[in-house]
Amino acid sequence: MKGVDIVRSTVLALVMIAAAGPMVSSVDAQTEGAEAVAIVVHPEVTIDGLSFDQLKSIFLAEQQHWPDRSRITLLVRAAIAPERDLILSEIYGMTEDRYRQYWISKMFRSEVASGPKIVFSTDMLRDLVTVIPGSIGFVPVSEVGPDLKVIPIDGMLPGDEGYPLN
Amino acid sequence: MQRAQVMRGSWLGILVAVLAPAVGLAGQVPDDSNIRAMGFGDFNYLVTERDLKEGFRMGQMVGHVIADLDERFTFFGEVSLTGKDNGYSIEVERALIRYDFADEFKIAVGRFHTPIGYWNAAFHHGSWLQTSVARPEMIKFGSRFIPTHFVGVIAEGGLPGSSLGLGYKVGIGNGRAENIARAGDAGDINDHRAWVARVRSRPIAIVGLEIGATFYTDQLLAPDLTDTRERIYSVHAALDRDAPEILAEYAHVTHDPMTGSGSFPGSDGYYVQIGYRMSGAFRSIKPYARVEQVIVPNGDEVFEPLNLNYDGVVAGIRYDPGVFLALRLEYRWERFEGLGAFNSLYTQASFVLSGF
Repeated sequence: MKGVDIVRSTVLALVMIAAAGPMVSSVDAQTEGAEAVAIVVHPEVTIDGLSFDQLKSIFLAEQQHWPDRSRITLLVRAAIAPERDLILSEIYGMTEDRYRQYWISKMFRSEVASGPKIVFSTDMLRDLVTVIPGSIGFVPVSEVGPDLKVIPIDGMLPGDEGYPLN
Repeated sequence: MQRAQVMRGSWLGILVAVLAPAVGLAGQVPDDSNIRAMGFGDFNYLVTERDLKEGFRMGQMVGHVIADLDERFTFFGEVSLTGKDNGYSIEVERALIRYDFADEFKIAVGRFHTPIGYWNAAFHHGSWLQTSVARPEMIKFGSRFIPTHFVGVIAEGGLPGSSLGLGYKVGIGNGRAENIARAGDAGDINDHRAWVARVRSRPIAIVGLEIGATFYTDQLLAPDLTDTRERIYSVHAALDRDAPEILAEYAHVTHDPMTGSGSFPGSDGYYVQIGYRMSGAFRSIKPYARVEQVIVPNGDEVFEPLNLNYDGVVAGIRYDPGVFLALRLEYRWERFEGLGAFNSLYTQASFVLSGF
């Protein structure tokens, strides 16, 4: 095929893609309307607080073990939950699509054995975080009950001024 | 395992054979299953001035499986099927068992993607993961410039508490086989193992940024059967995100005879790729471009006979109509040593099967 034909084909194909352009994929992170979220851990996790960098490191799976070497299990709400959007925005800095690609990529690179466990409701998360050793998750602050171990971030709790997940 | 093992039969049957585990397992097993699977695949259409067959081409079909063998032992496996003129070649791309002692120390044995640079381990056969149609020339499919696979033991770890996100990998393995594009799957060709050491930083504040450096050394046989010391020095900087994406990698490879005196000038390879996902109604579209080069000077006894000198310019558009599907249109200008310069146009559909 001659070079000029290739250039012509390229231009034609670009025009076709541009014509199909306004098709969009998935959902953008929407954090409006989300209330502050609390970071909760299994009651036997032996930490009393995390820095925001440590929290990011855990949710990005750069840190996969607690200081006692027990494995961390991430619990993440399914898509559409407002608190998930807040986490994607404030911790991951990613859209929903990019978040999925991030975890697929992590597994592809053999950096993690699995992605986060998907949790379909706050009640389910509350149940799981109290029974799965080493688990960590997040819940809207209004859903925090006395059975949950809430972890301060940078020494602050939800509602405190400067708390990073308000 | 021999790459030349060719399976005959319909491509559909092969596709089902490779991807069935992924289709069957992805998203359909209970969340606490100890086995997880993924599949990657691509289909292509090529028009080119090169002396290649044009038209529709089957790409690679790749199946991944990850299995928890124990609380701390994990198996990672990857098998690919690649379309050939006379059927499909099947290859065990990766098969490794890893023991996770802690974040600071994990150790694995098996067949790996050699941890040199960024692209080779980050994307490799996962074409859906990468922005462009294909890998850069220096780490292309069947690369001889960089050994893309590594059979041996690799220890790795990181300092998760550090804001710099420091990490390392250190490995010992067989190094290149007699065919230098191959890893020594059936043992080393000599008594001198290959070593690789890699350090990297992933600053927590900038998700997607990785900066790293790698050193690799091995002893191999030059085409004239001279024992030759190979050393590879590599650096990379990758901002692996959508807007912008910036990937840059450079490798310097030296080959020095083990006997006699003298040192020869090394060969160089690099690429720089930039992409930017558009916003608003056009956020499914990501234009990208890449420049790359492989430079082999006279006197490199291993690379010079292989005609590896190469210049390339790539420009394309990735379009994501759905979360797990990517369509690409890519123009390439390439100059190959001894062959001349050519224009090509690639069209590709790539996908991932994942329960995530």
